[in-house]
Amino acid sequence: MLNRLKEADHKQDYHALNAMLNLYDKNGHIQFNKDKEAARQYFLEHINQNTVFFHNLEEKLNYLIKEGYYEKEVLERYEFAFVKKLFQHAYSYKFRFPTFLGAFKYYTSYTLRTRDGKRYLERYEDRVVMVALTLASGDKKFASGIVNEIITGRFQPATPTFLNAGKKQRGELVSCFLLRIEDNMESIGRSINSALQLSKRGGGVALNLTNLRELGAPIKHIENQSSGIIPVMKLLEDAFSYANQLGARQGAGAVYLHAHHPDIMRFLDTKRENADEKIRIKTLSLGVVIPDITFELARNNEDMYLFSPYDIERITGKAMSDLSISECYRTFVDNPAITKKKVNARTFFQTIAEIQFESGYPYILFEDTANRANPIAGRINMSNLCSEILQVNMASVFESDLSYSHIGVDISCNLGSLNIAKAMDSSNFGATVETAVRALTAISDMSNITSVPSVVRGNDESHAIGLGQMNLHGFLAREKIHYGSPEAIDFTDIYFYTVTYHALAASSRIAQERGCSFAGFEDSSYADGSYFQKYVERSWRPAFEKVAALFARNNIAIPTQKDWIALQKIVEEHGLYNRNLQAVPPTGSISYINHATSSIHPIVSRIEVRKEGKIGRVYYPAPYMTNDNLEYYADAYQIGPEKIIDIYAAATRHVDQGLSLTLFFNDVATTRDINRAQIYAWKKGIKTIYYIRVRQAALQGTEVDGCVSCSL
Amino acid sequence: MLHITSPIRAINWNRVEDEKDLEVWNRLTSNFWLPEKVPLSNDIPSWATLTRDERQLTMRIFTGLTLLDTVQNTIGTISLLRDAETQHEEAVLTNIAFMEAVHARSYSSIFSTLCLTPDVDDAYRWSLENEYLQKKASYIIEHYKSNDQLKKKIASVFLESFLFYSGFYLPMYWSSRAKLTNTADLIRLIIRDEAVHGYYIGYKFQKELKKHAVREQDDIRDFAVSFLFNLYEIESRYTESLYDTIGLSEDVKMFLHYNANKALMNLGFDALFPSDICAVNPAILSALSPISDENHDFFSGSGSSYVIGRAVATTDGDWTF
Repeated sequence: MLNRLKEADHKQDYHALNAMLNLYDKNGHIQFNKDKEAARQYFLEHINQNTVFFHNLEEKLNYLIKEGYYEKEVLERYEFAFVKKLFQHAYSYKFRFPTFLGAFKYYTSYTLRTRDGKRYLERYEDRVVMVALTLASGDKKFASGIVNEIITGRFQPATPTFLNAGKKQRGELVSCFLLRIEDNMESIGRSINSALQLSKRGGGVALNLTNLRELGAPIKHIENQSSGIIPVMKLLEDAFSYANQLGARQGAGAVYLHAHHPDIMRFLDTKRENADEKIRIKTLSLGVVIPDITFELARNNEDMYLFSPYDIERITGKAMSDLSISECYRTFVDNPAITKKKVNARTFFQTIAEIQFESGYPYILFEDTANRANPIAGRINMSNLCSEILQVNMASVFESDLSYSHIGVDISCNLGSLNIAKAMDSSNFGATVETAVRALTAISDMSNITSVPSVVRGNDESHAIGLGQMNLHGFLAREKIHYGSPEAIDFTDIYFYTVTYHALAASSRIAQERGCSFAGFEDSSYADGSYFQKYVERSWRPAFEKVAALFARNNIAIPTQKDWIALQKIVEEHGLYNRNLQAVPPTGSISYINHATSSIHPIVSRIEVRKEGKIGRVYYPAPYMTNDNLEYYADAYQIGPEKIIDIYAAATRHVDQGLSLTLFFNDVATTRDINRAQIYAWKKGIKTIYYIRVRQAALQGTEVDGCVSCSL
Repeated sequence: MLHITSPIRAINWNRVEDEKDLEVWNRLTSNFWLPEKVPLSNDIPSWATLTRDERQLTMRIFTGLTLLDTVQNTIGTISLLRDAETQHEEAVLTNIAFMEAVHARSYSSIFSTLCLTPDVDDAYRWSLENEYLQKKASYIIEHYKSNDQLKKKIASVFLESFLFYSGFYLPMYWSSRAKLTNTADLIRLIIRDEAVHGYYIGYKFQKELKKHAVREQDDIRDFAVSFLFNLYEIESRYTESLYDTIGLSEDVKMFLHYNANKALMNLGFDALFPSDICAVNPAILSALSPISDENHDFFSGSGSSYVIGRAVATTDGDWTF
């Protein structure tokens, strides 16, 4: 018994082979071949032996439908001959996972398995085809288009879509939700319910706490009654830990609070290493909403006043999150009816940096920057779990039985990313963007999250999507361009410029086909043309020959002023179907499957150590890296915050929503360095900052010999 | 009644005699952590997938580690205090002693989160009764109680850099198989600390050893090697008594050789075990890395990545815009 167990274990030594990627060979080279071998072993020893066999496709599909694995309705929309052809087409690409982590991640987290979880019912190609058939809803040409884009790696839908589409037992196709909370018990109660409902369906949920009255605020005009926001955070944290999708993963949540809310310092202290258990927040993510005025106060080294949201609403009739604090600041300071307290503005920033050192949180939303760049009427007052979704919302009103007396607008967003390197290899760049936009739109059209009516309303009225990008660093390195160099910034600028053009054109075509735009198009800066000014009034060309050549190589046309003038006319005439189009998510899991570097970030390490509940510790090589081109693979800590911000700033000006921007520091950094990077980011027009990550170098003498990820 | 013969000196960190004291102090304080930081409860579903034997083994291993941490906290580091050369070294040692208490405490956090009380009690009873565990602990204590400061330091380095690792193997093994990954994060925090402790005490040992004549140095080296061999004997038996149940003893022994070499190197001596019997499973070796650079998502846990930072106020120049 003992020996048998052991033997099985030794055979499956793909884990060990994969780990060798993180150890140099005798000549000091990275052992890329060991990872390839690990991927191969994984298939030979594990996948192939545990995949259910069928004689042919028909038998397989019939079985999967009969046993309730696949959704019958998805396949019924196509004749079988077409389905068969599409599967054959997908298989003809001879897709192979280039890394162990890609294969491992796919088979542990995405593929369809038997109910006992032991055997595999799908290969990668099957998943791709089922996603395409689901999203295309019977449109054969569209289905083929989606298969082409996904299997070539140009487009990759986000996890909820890629994981769930076509399966009978499944979570939602949409990943991301943002909910307001208003200052009453009904709204708080309903939020907790929504958190549970949405987590159950696989979403990450962010909630806005800004409007909740502070600790010690009156309740029914009796002073010192409210217990503030911390107990609400505790309730939410517990709700998220309780809810998980069929045990697949824990719910995850974020809460946002305005910098000028009186509980702000308490909010930050919940993440302190030595915080009391009663107030400590472990798994909830935090975000702070910072307006321009806070920077001005810090510059003048003044105190910043914090205002009671309870009083603000009493006096102005508006919730705190529906006001621009920068605009109202002086009036509120002078108004004796608004209860306030103060902290030094620089101390506030320093505290944020201290907490970021310890916990990586809070995220930051630069409120005024996001609102200035927002083409849509309304206010952006929060972001989401990954700080890339920036959309407007409206309050709901509840009866005491928690039913809605007025359904407001809350936010959901479905995401998918292009692989920049693969997209740049495409001969028809515009079509790639259009297929991606249409695929994401299809997901929005299919979504109907009835448990949260304000989300249903938001989605129905907006059809908001978030087209993201990944593999920027991989692409740059492949083309021998250093991340953060002037050429890299130039490329990023022109790339996003081009994507934006095609995304708007696609959305306008959809509006034209359906004869319908998103609600509120008339009030947007797309309608009055002011959005197009920056593109119509000047010409956007690559500044570097080398960058221009990258586009010319596959005849990717860079839109001209004339193109934009034409597009503006079309948009004015037909409108846009999607209220929001782009958002650049951090892309964790899907970038491993797609073999891309995450998002538009630099790599965190040449060999990345990835840890997740489901996969344990696994090692991942950066795309296109060999022992000969290592110089282009400087990591994020070496590159430093300024260059990363420069890259993001170039992309940000073309993206209507946000971009998850993580900043990386070595442990010699101080809170001042973090603050300076934040000031720099704000100055450069960055909308949000995601995590702060600090890398501690091993004390000399304590490192593991020959370890790739330890060597700096 | 204590007789005070000379005035008592206040510690002055602005006059550091050995820069290493400050460097290690800074490292240890910025590494400070408490077990509450790690969301261990995320491991409850994973714990349930272990077999009864695997669970029992895991609990036993952790009680074994608790016992060693207890020794190090209450006897080991305290006994080194007397030999401290500088006041700063004393300060570092008290920090080490405290963190050992935190480590011992952490295992109880794991138990209270994952296990049932009778099972935990059973594991503690086992730790009292296990011959090899008791033997290695008392062997180490014996030297802590001696008056030879070099031998005390050797005992400490062997404990920190060698004896712990038969226990550390298991959580690293589980985490490479996607099990108990949050527990592994916590253990990695402990490893991060122990790596610094072993290194620092080894450094102080080497400094002290240099003051002795060459012949004495040789004697000490011989002593260290035979001490290590004796511990290795016990440790091998201990390993077999635990890991045979899941068939990993051979692998763990490779790991013992590797760490025995590391311990000797911390003391400034040459490695003893040839490299072909130190072929540690790469999955374990890679998992050990004390540097905290792993990437993880927010669905999975806190990771072992964050450090306490140095607060420095911004100046007017930083705020020009």
